Amino acid sequence: MSVPMIEVKHLKKYFNTPKGTLHAVDDISFKIEKGKTMGVVGESGCGKSTLGRTIIHLLESTDGQIFMNGKDITRVDKHQMHEINEKMQIVFQDPYSSLNPRQTVEDVIREPLKLSKRYKTRAEIDQKTDELMKLVGIDERLRHAYPHELDGGRRQRVGIARALSLNPDFIVCDEPVSALDVSIQAQVLNLLQDLQEKQGLTYMFVTHDLSVVRHISDDICVMYLGQLVETSPAKELFKKPLHPYTKALLSAIPSTDIDHPHERIKLQGEITSPIDPKPGCRFAARCPYATEACKQPQQLEEILPNHYISCCRARELNQDIL
Amino acid sequence: MANTLLSVKNLSVEYTSEGEVIHAVNHVSFDLEKGKTIGLVGETGAGKTSIARAILRILPEPPARVPNGEIEFEGKDLLKIREEDMQKIRGKEISMIFQDPMTALNPIMRVGEQIAEVIHLHEHCGKHEATEKAKKMLEMVGISGERYYEYPHQFSGGMKQRVVIAMALACSPTLLLADEPTTALDVTIQAQVLDMINDLKQKLNTSMIMITHDLGIVAEVCDTVAVIYAGEIMEYGTKEQIFHNPQYPYTIGLFGSLPDLNSDVERLSPIEGLPPNPADLPKGCAFNPRCPYATEECRKEHIELKDIGGGHLCRCCRLNEIAAQKAKEV
Repeated sequence: MSVPMIEVKHLKKYFNTPKGTLHAVDDISFKIEKGKTMGVVGESGCGKSTLGRTIIHLLESTDGQIFMNGKDITRVDKHQMHEINEKMQIVFQDPYSSLNPRQTVEDVIREPLKLSKRYKTRAEIDQKTDELMKLVGIDERLRHAYPHELDGGRRQRVGIARALSLNPDFIVCDEPVSALDVSIQAQVLNLLQDLQEKQGLTYMFVTHDLSVVRHISDDICVMYLGQLVETSPAKELFKKPLHPYTKALLSAIPSTDIDHPHERIKLQGEITSPIDPKPGCRFAARCPYATEACKQPQQLEEILPNHYISCCRARELNQDIL
Repeated sequence: MANTLLSVKNLSVEYTSEGEVIHAVNHVSFDLEKGKTIGLVGETGAGKTSIARAILRILPEPPARVPNGEIEFEGKDLLKIREEDMQKIRGKEISMIFQDPMTALNPIMRVGEQIAEVIHLHEHCGKHEATEKAKKMLEMVGISGERYYEYPHQFSGGMKQRVVIAMALACSPTLLLADEPTTALDVTIQAQVLDMINDLKQKLNTSMIMITHDLGIVAEVCDTVAVIYAGEIMEYGTKEQIFHNPQYPYTIGLFGSLPDLNSDVERLSPIEGLPPNPADLPKGCAFNPRCPYATEECRKEHIELKDIGGGHLCRCCRLNEIAAQKAKEV
């Protein structure tokens, strides 16, 4: 098998808070192959954004390893960091707060070009800026516009152009469409797909919107309270969800199919605190199938080919589909 | 209709900003029966919230103004009655669930007291009785009555939204205006909240106006649907009419923009372009600059809502041509 673009092994990110240690990302391992999209889903506070930010070194990992093209990049010096920054980029969730209000569209896109020192003359930088604006579909007349003059969809396009400016290999898309209206959301999703095809980009797509993640991803990780509960190829996950949490999550999406209303799995309560969690399955408090065995630490297990879940009762609960 | 609870006729809302007049709502009319739910669907800035605020008379005036329209509720025109009478209706007979639970609550007032305040004002009962009832309301929305004395910052987003719902339902309103009640919530919490609203609606036989941009929510809770674009109702019908047989190009576009959970579509078909500037609406059909089927005819004059069978209304002059073109594609 080829070397995966990104691989993380037992990655952990803890935050110290006055109340204790917050386990935002707790022992997560997965691979993303080159040119593919890994969708990461979960509810707010489950650590999915922290995971993305830790991988691209916006946050320093607490423990575990991160590999890019087979090379360990977990701990790097300043010079190597510069290289990593050029290869890994991020598109942020909120196009309103992720652009400097005092920079024009052109300034935003040009900044990384200037910093990289790849371009010697002003003319070269201008030319590259033109290319990028064309690539993401921003009109030339908006070149000198400020962010407040643009709508959400266009701002997100500026954010995408900035991320693409140094020809990265890997982009973390952190809820890039959740602040946009549906008709605009579809435009941005199509743009991201086109760019992936043209430039062979690898994405990690972080979102809470399950229909978006199914549409855009090749593989999906489902997170709950900092842990990976299920990972599988995208289509299989929606056809055969195995973990009780994934099942509940999928059944909670309001469906536009009015003829076949689906049975909803009702969850009690809300996500518990990720501060100093107890060992054992973190979903157990809300899980309708929880037993004594769930209080033991859970292992991620391959139940079907490429389909991993961490639930000790998975086999008995899914007898009918296995 | 004997069963009509609310009848909105020819309602318009304008905002004046820096000398410009923004036409947020333009000649909207619809009826709502007792115990039924109508969904107002549209994008940001389509005027959905302005309609709800006009009904409750909580538009900021100025800059907002209601130049024309009638809102008939139980035989009274809400736009004509005195403010004192309106205060008796607001919160008692008509109440609203606001969009953002983070800002809808008073941060320096105990959550229970915020619910008790409504009860105390409208039911003319003592403080103690109001407290007891507020605790019951908290329990009805699944929050322990012991948390009556806590402050909003001690609650999670989902719980705050449930407090807002408890407040809206405290006086058993006959009409509930729900303005994107679940937009700020996670899907599993959203499912809990929607189930709860549905249960309470049945228990109290409340009518509801559900404002949302999520067609999935419409499918789950609404009986009839009005698709709003640039402050106008563009298509109106029962849930079945709209979901099985959408006719207006914008409605069709909305369905095309949604990634579907049950089918594999390689590419979405988004609606090109952007919503129009409400201060400068295009002539003719407001959707014509983005409509793939638009011709000169659509730009000429304002188009009326037409009944295209069984109460299914649509504001489009090219329906026959569009149908013919689609038949050809198939």
